[in-house]
Amino acid sequence: MKFRAVLGLAAACLLALAPAAQATPKDTLTVALQLEPPNLDPTSGAAVATDEVVYGNVFEGLVRLDAQGTVKPLLATWWEVSPDGLTYTFHLRDGVRFQDGTPFDATIVKFSLERALGPASTNVQKQALSVIRQVEAVDPRTVRLRLSSPDSNLLYTLAWGDSVMVSPKSAGSLATAPVGTGPFRFASWRRGDTVTLVRDDGYWGQPAKLRQVKFKFIADPAAAYAAIKTHEVDAFPDYPAPENLAQLRADPALKVVTASSEGEVILAINNRAGPLADLRVRRALQYALDRRAIIDGAMYGYGTPIGSHFPPQNAAYVDLTGLYPHDVAKAKVLLAEAGYPNGLDLTLKLPPPNYARRSGEIVAAQLAQAGVRVKIENIEWAQWLDQVYGRHAFDLTIVSHAEPMDYAIYDKADYYFGYHSEAFHGLMEALKGATDEGQRAAILGQIQRRIAEDAVNGFLFQFPRLGVFDARLKDFWVNSPTQNIDLRAASFDGVGGAEAIASDKAGPAGAIVGAVLAFALVGGLILLAVRFGAAYLGGRAAVMVLTLLVASIVVFAIIQVAPGDPAAYMLGLNASPEAVANLRQQMGLEGSAAQRYFDWLLGMLRGDLGVSYTYQTPVAALVAERIGVSLPLATLALILSVVVGAPIGALAAARRGKAADALVMGLTQVGVAIPNFWFAVLLVMVFSIGLRWVSAGGFPGWDAGLVPALKALALPAIALAAPQAAIIARVTRSALIDTLAEDYMRTARAKGLTASQALWRHGLPNALIPVLTILGLQFPFLLAGGVIIENVFFLPGLGRLVLQAITQRDLIVVQGVVMLLVFAVVTTNFLVDVAYVLVDPRLRRRGS
Amino acid sequence: MSRSRLSATLIVGGVISVLFVVAALLSLVWTPYDVTAFDIGHRLQGPSAAHWLGLDHFGRDIASMILLGARNALSVSLVAVLLGAGVGAPLGLLAAARRGWIDELVMRASDVVFAFPALILAILITAVLGPGAINAVIAIGVFNVPVFARLTRGSALSLWTRDYVLAARAAGKGATRISLEHIVPGLLSVLIVQATLQFSLGVIAEAGLSYVGLGAQPPAASWGKMLADAQTLVAVAPLQAIFPGLAIVITVLGLNLLGDGLRDRLDPRLDEDR
Repeated sequence: MKFRAVLGLAAACLLALAPAAQATPKDTLTVALQLEPPNLDPTSGAAVATDEVVYGNVFEGLVRLDAQGTVKPLLATWWEVSPDGLTYTFHLRDGVRFQDGTPFDATIVKFSLERALGPASTNVQKQALSVIRQVEAVDPRTVRLRLSSPDSNLLYTLAWGDSVMVSPKSAGSLATAPVGTGPFRFASWRRGDTVTLVRDDGYWGQPAKLRQVKFKFIADPAAAYAAIKTHEVDAFPDYPAPENLAQLRADPALKVVTASSEGEVILAINNRAGPLADLRVRRALQYALDRRAIIDGAMYGYGTPIGSHFPPQNAAYVDLTGLYPHDVAKAKVLLAEAGYPNGLDLTLKLPPPNYARRSGEIVAAQLAQAGVRVKIENIEWAQWLDQVYGRHAFDLTIVSHAEPMDYAIYDKADYYFGYHSEAFHGLMEALKGATDEGQRAAILGQIQRRIAEDAVNGFLFQFPRLGVFDARLKDFWVNSPTQNIDLRAASFDGVGGAEAIASDKAGPAGAIVGAVLAFALVGGLILLAVRFGAAYLGGRAAVMVLTLLVASIVVFAIIQVAPGDPAAYMLGLNASPEAVANLRQQMGLEGSAAQRYFDWLLGMLRGDLGVSYTYQTPVAALVAERIGVSLPLATLALILSVVVGAPIGALAAARRGKAADALVMGLTQVGVAIPNFWFAVLLVMVFSIGLRWVSAGGFPGWDAGLVPALKALALPAIALAAPQAAIIARVTRSALIDTLAEDYMRTARAKGLTASQALWRHGLPNALIPVLTILGLQFPFLLAGGVIIENVFFLPGLGRLVLQAITQRDLIVVQGVVMLLVFAVVTTNFLVDVAYVLVDPRLRRRGS
Repeated sequence: MSRSRLSATLIVGGVISVLFVVAALLSLVWTPYDVTAFDIGHRLQGPSAAHWLGLDHFGRDIASMILLGARNALSVSLVAVLLGAGVGAPLGLLAAARRGWIDELVMRASDVVFAFPALILAILITAVLGPGAINAVIAIGVFNVPVFARLTRGSALSLWTRDYVLAARAAGKGATRISLEHIVPGLLSVLIVQATLQFSLGVIAEAGLSYVGLGAQPPAASWGKMLADAQTLVAVAPLQAIFPGLAIVITVLGLNLLGDGLRDRLDPRLDEDR
């Protein structure tokens, strides 16, 4: 009876739950972004990704821009400007509260703006905001700004993400726990993978339709394709792989939106010195370029050719693409005239995005036709900022200038491409004095022509904005004047399947790390306590500590000479030197190397690996999070390799010299020769794209459940295990062959066991000892060896953390992770030594 | 294991290795097509009579790219091995001849290098020096140094206990002279075998570095980079990812077989697999 009642209750619950789960339209959205924000404080750095995630969703400012670029009210309902343009009075919205409960009023505005202008501020718009002389809270609903000079741009500046309102209570921790007045509340951040926002039910305005929004970070074109195709993500507003857009268009469940952006992709030329200071050489480069081929080759036809630094959709645009038609002969003539009849050698430095790398290869090939020998150097953004933008150490580079109406950069002689022209300066002055639109457009036309005729840069194409979306998604607004993804109105059409809601529990990662380390340590101590060979082990322990110490010096030294300033990288292109210096101070980058080394070393002894520059969270916490992926992956791979490798090896040993042995050994030779990342790509081709059994990448997190997590790790583990299994098979085989010659095997046969019985019962267990040794030694390498595999599958593990940290110049993370891996290797070696001593007493004697 | 299969290993490995070297050398003077001229209009074409392996995403002949990739793989791995053996073997010899603190220093230094997971160290080095074939050589070569140092030291130590070496010592020959006259000739076969195996590891390592963008830079062709380029196209043109991968597997397989075959042939004391 009781049992039936329980059953009935359970059924009733299920019935009650099931319809609710099925009838609601899909109200969770996953948006993919190419770049992960370094932190979530839009007032502290230049990262576009930060604004994309939080601006307009979590944070709001006094005003905002609409799709046409006009200023609209937001937290200020209306405003007045004094006739002399020196006083702005804002009237604030009533009933607005921050997500932490703080009411929004005039003192908040005063606090937020004064914070942005303060001496410690690293706000990118500090310069633009500095026109504000005084912020005065007239009454709780009124704020008055007094300016030092009239500035018609002020309202636009206030509409940027850098000018959002922040609560004094939470202002100190915005980087990791953003709190604003927006329609969504920050929920969690799985670094390297996702940021989750949830609807704020206390929002002052129309509540958002979506209950939960996830931003997922996917930069790899192959992973991007798999993610959108399998509906793992619902929206990819900035899709990185134009090569497979045609296929996505053919999918009725998806919609592809292509639009123009404000970005001009240019082949920037260092105008300063050498052959490139010569106008004839720069013009020769223009004639050598074939824009159509570049757009077709690099962008698969997406993108509009441009002839100057100006977007075609603007009313004042002048088509100058015909100024230098593709003409290799003409280019050669010009080069000869300039004194380079045999061509010349130039360096082309390319930042990481695909558009730059691919265009670069084509540009190099085109210039080669005209006799210009181009050496390509692929560099990271940190190096680009340092070498190209900062020190002007380049001949050519390819980059997209995304800022709208940024022709003023041609008026700065110290800008990275170093163009200086009195005529251009005159035009800029005339533009400031222009009174009506017609006059303004005429001058803008002359500006475009001037730049093109001086062949300042090679103007390639207007960057296309390629978006791929779930066809049911509507009112998803990617705001082009400001860089944000506004989701307040977004929703899905129709009825969708219910999705599991991930809870925000802290993962078991930290506990796993602790357990493993404690286990290793306790194990070592117990074995030491056995006291066999104490002198020998003492010696080994001393060597281990010495190795770790030297390795730490090596790591620190390598990191010190790594080029690129992390502070400059974090603040981006428009940062003032003052802001960079401020940030360097905050990051603890000042001070002598020795001092910093000892600080770091002492910190590590306390278990403190420092604070990540970009994520602004403790490195130890980051590592713990990532180890929660890498450790299970390595373990899984290890288990797989043994389960597959050992029996195969045993089989070969049992059939030694026969055809089966030859076949197995041949196969293992092939297995050892397969690069695991290629095997991984093949697995993705078959199982993700072909059969669609598992997703091609990403990691849902352990809190999403054991099955989805293991499913995500399956292909990576197989790829990682395959070459390893081949090694294990070979080791097992030779170890078994050795054991077969032992006396006890003969005894086993003598007592009547068949050859195969003797092998499996007595041979295999004994042969496993060398196999287990190999396994122990391989484990730390599997942990680190996942680097490339983690990249293929987009797993947020240690390897990806380290690669990403290197490219972002998050040096403290690099140091920490590398030391951790070194520690793992050294400790394992030590434990293996200890185990040997236990097994082989001869070593004890040798040691003492 | 019968004698005949052993030489079969050697023959197959030798033939593949020779083909690899020939392909690399051939690419210096001739490739089926000019890969500096892009033919975007015909990109991603499948294999045909004119282009046996098809055309890549820039319309370049894949067969030609594979030949050029062989040159890159050969030069990077070869120089990395020479670097490792050139620095490591003398260090090992010195450690074995002098023993004492020099020995200790060499061994502890190699402990430090071995403490770094190879790939992480290589990535760190290329991150500092910048990507490129030469820096890939350094990154891979650094790891080869302790391998050769340890192997040389270990083998040399056992040779130092041989009667003929003891005799030479008794005759008053110096350590340097003994090393050069008696130890080195005895080491050659072990070193050649190890060099072949490190060579094949170098090919894989180079492909890995190029795959993450830290190896040879375009326009130089590299198998790893070809794979990286092909990976974004797996949905459109899956064949693109097949050929460079096969090139790596066949080359590494050939070098491994050659190494195993040489070991069996040159060093009869060793068991075939250990």
